[in-house]
This record gives sequence, structure tokens and C-alpha cells, in this order.
Amino acid sequence: MSKFVDRPRFTCALGGALFTLRALPRTIPIIHASAGCGYNVFSAGSAGAGYLGGGYCGGTSWSSSNVVEREIVFGGQDRLSEQIRSTLDLMDGDLYVVITGCMVEMIGDDVQAVAEAFADEAAPVVAIPTPSFKGNSYEGYDMVLSGLFQRFTRPAAARRDTVNLLGLVPGQDAFYKGNLTEIKRLLTRLGLRVHTFFGEDETLRDLQGAAEAAHTLVLSDVYGVKSAQTLKALHGIPHTVLPLPVGAAQTSGFLRAAADALGVARPVAEAVIQSEETRYYDYLERLADIYNDVDLQRYVVVAGDANYAPAVSRFLADELGWLPALTVVTDFLDEAQTRAIERRFDAWESGLKPLVRFDTDTSSLERYIREAWPPSANERYYDSLSPTVLVGTVFERDLAARFGWPLLTVSFPVTNRVVLQQAYAGYNGGLTLTSDLLTLLVSGR
Amino acid sequence: MNYLSAKTPPVREERLGAGIAFGGTCREVQCARAGGCLNLAARTFSQTQGCQFTLSQAIINTLRNAVIIMHGPIGCGASSIGAVGTSQTFKRLRDPNAEGLIWLNSNLDEADVIGGGEGKLKEAIRFAERMFRPETILIPVSCVPALIGDDVDAVVAEMQEETAAALVPVHCSGFKTKVMATAYDDVYHGILRALVKKPERRADRRVVPDELEEVRRRYRDSRTVNVLNVSSMSRPDETELTRLLNALDLQVRFLPCYSDAEDFQYALESALNVSICGTHDDYFLHHLQTLYDIPFLIDTIPIGRKNTARWLRKIAAHFDLSQEADRLIASEEQALDEALAPFRPALRGKTAFLGGGEVRILATAEILQDLGMKIVGFKGHHYDEFAEPVFESLDDVDDVLFNVATQQPFEQINLVKRLRPDLYVGHSGGGNISAKQGLPLLPLFGPSYNYMGFSGVFEVARRIRRILANAQFNKQLARHCPLPYRDSWYAQDPFSYIKAEG
Repeated sequence: MSKFVDRPRFTCALGGALFTLRALPRTIPIIHASAGCGYNVFSAGSAGAGYLGGGYCGGTSWSSSNVVEREIVFGGQDRLSEQIRSTLDLMDGDLYVVITGCMVEMIGDDVQAVAEAFADEAAPVVAIPTPSFKGNSYEGYDMVLSGLFQRFTRPAAARRDTVNLLGLVPGQDAFYKGNLTEIKRLLTRLGLRVHTFFGEDETLRDLQGAAEAAHTLVLSDVYGVKSAQTLKALHGIPHTVLPLPVGAAQTSGFLRAAADALGVARPVAEAVIQSEETRYYDYLERLADIYNDVDLQRYVVVAGDANYAPAVSRFLADELGWLPALTVVTDFLDEAQTRAIERRFDAWESGLKPLVRFDTDTSSLERYIREAWPPSANERYYDSLSPTVLVGTVFERDLAARFGWPLLTVSFPVTNRVVLQQAYAGYNGGLTLTSDLLTLLVSGR
Repeated sequence: MNYLSAKTPPVREERLGAGIAFGGTCREVQCARAGGCLNLAARTFSQTQGCQFTLSQAIINTLRNAVIIMHGPIGCGASSIGAVGTSQTFKRLRDPNAEGLIWLNSNLDEADVIGGGEGKLKEAIRFAERMFRPETILIPVSCVPALIGDDVDAVVAEMQEETAAALVPVHCSGFKTKVMATAYDDVYHGILRALVKKPERRADRRVVPDELEEVRRRYRDSRTVNVLNVSSMSRPDETELTRLLNALDLQVRFLPCYSDAEDFQYALESALNVSICGTHDDYFLHHLQTLYDIPFLIDTIPIGRKNTARWLRKIAAHFDLSQEADRLIASEEQALDEALAPFRPALRGKTAFLGGGEVRILATAEILQDLGMKIVGFKGHHYDEFAEPVFESLDDVDDVLFNVATQQPFEQINLVKRLRPDLYVGHSGGGNISAKQGLPLLPLFGPSYNYMGFSGVFEVARRIRRILANAQFNKQLARHCPLPYRDSWYAQDPFSYIKAEG
């Protein structure tokens, strides 16, 4: 059974669905819900993702049936039908997707049936139930993506060189687009064609052609797995789950695993890795002086989602040479997912392992810090958790201020930064993360 | 007015006959309201617009020493994510030690939809009390618990016995009303029932009363006014209104925004409650009069020199200070005229369209007219009686377009394309649309800027000149970022999707 959450670091299924659709080119969502649902998750999701905005539609332009008491009593299907008709007349898109809020699901509106009546329209109209009492925004991503694979993707012959990339949730990952660009750049260097669906220069053809892929890579132990299973069930595409790679070591590992999964010859992969690592260390070498001259090693406390928390912690330990004391994973996870994430903290090259905790409540972090590091008992000599950097969400700001720790916000919500094309994944992501963290430390110089 | 025995206030469609869909002119919208034919309209196309739950956060998120429990599925109240920084910053302008914005979500899931969410709410209340020790725990109730029949009032009554914090349920389920401003009534309803009561002072328990102290207090109360602030105003706005009222030798207390629980008790020790905006606080002020016999003033909003002067004169008349007010206003106007002179040449003849809350757009239009600008259109979130006094401050607007629409940018975009204003003055959330039309935009409100009083006129003038001086950002965006509407839409009647019905 689930519990209440102290400042949730996610929104609801409808929110995840809307920001997933927002990331698809020329896609028009039609919200079948109360009048405030869309605006609420827009306000949350845009600010929380470093001011992502509402995209092509614009958040306040999202078509919404705005059901009120009368529809809740008598049913909302007529209102939805009217809204789909008027949306098709007014808004210019290539794909129209009806998604639902809690109330219309509770009264049992048959949105599929309503959408099917629009089968002869020039652009496809599909309906995907996304009730928020069945999941948060991460699950909304899988609901909508699975639904689109089912209703929009066309059967096709598999191409050996084509791969689908899943697991980075638009909006919940404020850096999703930069991350996809970087991963796609690397896979392209392996000679692959890549569908990320939400990346630069992609169109709805990528989504329509998802069945051409020979394989799906899921860069997450949690998100996107259900969508990959849908692709497998419908089109027989196998998938491999890999962790989100941050920095040189993890990314080189990722490229080897991807090459193996897709039948790319190892020497091809090694040549790419060699050239990427050379470039990477050409930049990192710049820091050899300042890092050592003024001692930029830090303890670190990490709070973040199931993608970022393990990946960033490991990067900080194994590449930046920092000392992760505590990592809190802030998602709701089932037992299998929890075990999978726990394994990501095993066998680090540095030999380090932070205290790992799974907790959705913002106020819990402070308690775990005391658990990870004995608090001062007014000893004359006290080995304190210092100097420390906090890598988390904007919800950690008060805590960081109280402890006097610099804070870098990486995981949702990220309201104190403007995020554009930046990435934390891949080789480029490792450079950006290093630059962002060390900038915090030299900003007074 | 006394609705406090009911669980929830009546919705504004019923209480005020407020309308949310209309297209015509300023004269026509006033006639339509007078004729009672405004509030039975809807749309065959609509866009997401906010609800009374999200709007209730506008007040709730400002209260100090409070924890909020969003009672609903996991997304309800998520919009507070956008307010974590600003809420703390603005609270700290009132109290440097104020905490940040803390909320829980009761996270109703599929099992709760069947079995009820009362147990989870109780758990959340216990956690909030134990972890944060707040003075107040506010519980906005969303659609789902209302539909499954959670008895939140009963849970609150039961839990209050083991909870030190005052528990304030706010019944603001989004699906209950199309007029999202009903949110204000919901919040005040909760505050009136749980927080408003006569303060108990130690001095009141003295065996021998201190008569001199009593006289002093009564005198002080007789010169104290409560000004009902709104979350869209700023600390600089409050400073300006305080300056003006202090000049009349009146003491000022602001509530409800950024108050703590106790402030609602001491607020009863005042001579007059003054509304900033009737749309926000009429429900509260009527009840304070009925229950505590405190007179109130609901008239215009002190934005623009005429509205500010009218607002001051109405207050002054209550205290028999009319001559003092006239002298103050005359000196303020003279200083303002001198200050505005350098700005007039750049602004004269420019055209503007204003969108947002009915009271605020009309009052802000007074500033623009003062600066020699021409109003080409209005879009009000809804329409009801509170707009009417503000109309009196405007010259020659009978034939100016008036659209009633809560957000609904598709109507705005069609209108703006026809009317081609030089400036759009708009409510937050619509920036995206105006940007893609290449229009410079002045936010209709902003909690760090001064809009109110005489200084507000100067600040708005200064900002409009600045904003008009360089609109390149939006111009470039407009060149590269398409709008999502079909070309055919711009040829259609902008009000084609409004239909008459219940």
C-alpha cells in the first residue's frame, strides 16, 4: 500500500503523459479531465524542469474538456466527443492524443470508443487512459508511450542497424533532450540508426517506425521498461536494460554493452571509445592543477530519482574522486526495482559505497545524514562530514543552507536553473557535471 | 451573509451569477450581467484553465508556520513546485525566520478510490504534526475524495483532539465550479471556521481590569484598518498603501496573505475591513460583519490614480477624514504628474490589450489611459458585480471589446491578431502565446513589483517604457516558433465556440 508523500518530487500520471506528449513533434494532447488538471501539472512540470514551457501548444493552450459536476453525474463522453471535434478543427497537429484525469476514469467514460469515431480524420486520434490514482508522472510516461506503441506504431520489418532508446522521461528528467542528443550521438558513431522519439530532429515517423528496430535499449532500471515490454509483446523486439551512463567510465561501459546487444563488432566500439576518452581527458586534464592545488575533493550527499541517484553517485566516486556518504533514491519502487537499484551501488572501482536509502519524503534526508555520519556530541575533536556538496533537487535548498553546503540541482524539481540543451549523460554529460560542480567551488575566487 | 453552517460555500455561479464565457463590448457585458443572462454560457472548445483547488493555493501557500496536506491523488497541488522559492522569499519579507513552503500529498491510489482515503489523511496529519510542529495544518480537498465521499470534516474533528496545530479543511474540489475564483470563498470558509476567533489576552483575565489600558486599546482599534491583501500584490504595494493610510493617521494591518494563525484573531481588533479586490474577499468581509460587527468597504482596487484616490476617499470618509484625504491626494497627484512627464511622449497613442482578473485589468487600464495610451480590448477571467465600480475610472470604453474567458488563449490570439495592439498586459501563463505573436508583454501582476497606489502608476509607466523599448526577444521567437492554431481560425468569429447552455 502506498503512503502520503512529503513534497513529492514528481507529479501524476496525467502530468507525465502531458510532458511526454509535449516532447513529441506536432502532437496535440486532448485532456479529458477537470479544468484545473492540465494547468496544475503544467505549472509544476514546466518550473520543475528548469522552465521547459508548454512547447508547441503552450501549456495554457492544451485542449481540455474541463468537465464539471454535470458530466460527472451524467457521463462525459458527449463532452469529449464535442471537444475532439473542435480541437481537430482548431488546432494544427499530426497526431491527437486523448488522455484522461481521475474523475472521468472513476465515472467510467469509454474514451477509446469516443476516439474510434474519429478514425476517418486526416490525422490519427488515439485515446490512452492515464488515471493519476494509478501512478505518478514516471508511470504516466510508460502509460502514454505503451499506448502509442499500441495504437500509433505500425508493423514493420526489423532493420538490424536500428535501435529504440527508452528510459529518459521528458520533463521528469529536466535534461532529457540534451541527454538523448548525447546518447544518440554516441550510438550513431557505432553505425546505428536511433529512435529516441523526443530528440533533436526527430519526427513522428520515428515513433511510427518504432517496430523497425532490432533492439530496444532502456537506460533505466525503472522507467521505460513497461514500454519496452509492450514493444516486445507487439513486435517481438528484444530489449536490454542498462543504467543511465554519466561520465567516461560509465559511458564506455554502456557503449560496449550496446555494441554487444546490437551485434556491433567490438573493435568498432573500442575505436569510438578510444577517441571519446581521448577527447574527454583532453578537457579534464585542465583541472589537474586546480583540483590538486586547492584540494577540491568533497564528501557528497545525493538525493535524486532512480536514474540520477546511482549514476551521479558512482560518477562522483569513481571519476571525480569524491566521497559519497549518502544517496537517497526518492521514487516509489517495488521490491524488484529496489534490488536492481541497490545493485548499481556494488563493485565500484573506488571501492566506496555510500549509505543508500529509499524514501519519497523530503524531510527524511536529514535523518539519513545523521545515520550516515555520526553527529557531533560536542567532542573537542570531531571528524565532521565536511567539506560537503549536496547534489539533489530544489527541495534540498533549505537543508543545504542550514549545513552551509553548496547545492547542485540535477533531479526534478529544478526550479532554480534554466535548462536548455545541457546534458548530464554520456561523455559530454560528465564534463558538464564536473564543470557545474567545480564552478560552485571556485565561484568565490 | 452567513454560510458557515454549511460544509462548503455556494459556488459563484449561484452566489454572484458570475459568467465565464462572453464576447462583446464593455457596454454589452455590463448590460448582460444586469440582465442576468451572462452566467449560463459554456464553450464547445475549451483549454485547461486552472480550478478552485489550484487557485486556493494562491492564499494557502502564503500562510506562515503552516503545513499543507493536499488531499487527493499524487498530482493535486503539484503546482506548488513552481512556488517553492517565491513563497519562501516573500514570507521572509514579513518574517526573516519564516520557513519554506511545506506540503504533503495524501497520495490516494486505486485502493483508496475503492476503500476511501480517510486513513491516509489521518496518517498525513499525524506526520505533519510530529515532523514540523506547525501552528496550522491546511487541508485542501481535491475532486477524488469529494467523489468517493471522504468525510474530511469528521476526520478533522476527530484528529483535532490529538493535534496541537489548528486543522483547517478547505473544500475546493475542482469539478464543482466553472468559476475558479470560488477558491477564495473556500479558503476563507475554512479560515473563518477554524482560525477566526477573539484573541484571549492575559490582560483580559485580570481580576482588576486596567481601565487606562482598555481605553488605549479601544482608541488604537478605532484607528486601525485591515487591508485584505491578495497574493498577486507585492510587499512594495503594501508599503505604498501603508504610507498613504499612515498619512491619514490610520494604522494598517494586512491579511490574509503571509499571515500566521494568530493574525486572524488580532484582525478582529479593528475599525474597518478594506477590500483590495472584491473578487478575492467579499465572502470573508461579509462574514466578519455578520459575525463580529466589523464594517467593511468593497469598492475599487487602488491601481491607477483615480482608483487610488477613490479608494482613499472612501476609507477617509468612514473616519471623517475627507478633507485630509483631499489634501493628501492633491499633493500626491502633483508629484506624480511631474514624475510622469518624461514618460508621456514615448507612450502617448500606443495601444494595449489587457487580459486577466476582471478588476485588475480594468484598473490597470486606468493607468494606461492616464499615460495617453488607447485600450483596444479586455479579456476578463470571469465577470460579476465587482468590475462595475472600476469601470467608472475609465474614459470612453463603452465600445471597447470585452471577452470573458478564464485563460482560453485561442480566443485571445484571434482577437489580438485583429486588434494588433502595441502592448499586451497579461496574466501569468499566457506569455507563450504573446511571445509567438511577437508582442511585448507587461505582466498584469508580479509579487515583486509595485503596481498599487501613486507610486505604482509611476512604476508601471517606467516598466512599459522599458518593455516597449526593446521587444526583440519576442519578435525573434515569433519569426521561428509557430503557433498551434490553424490559419482558418483567424478568419473565424473569435467567439464561435461560445454556446448558451447550463
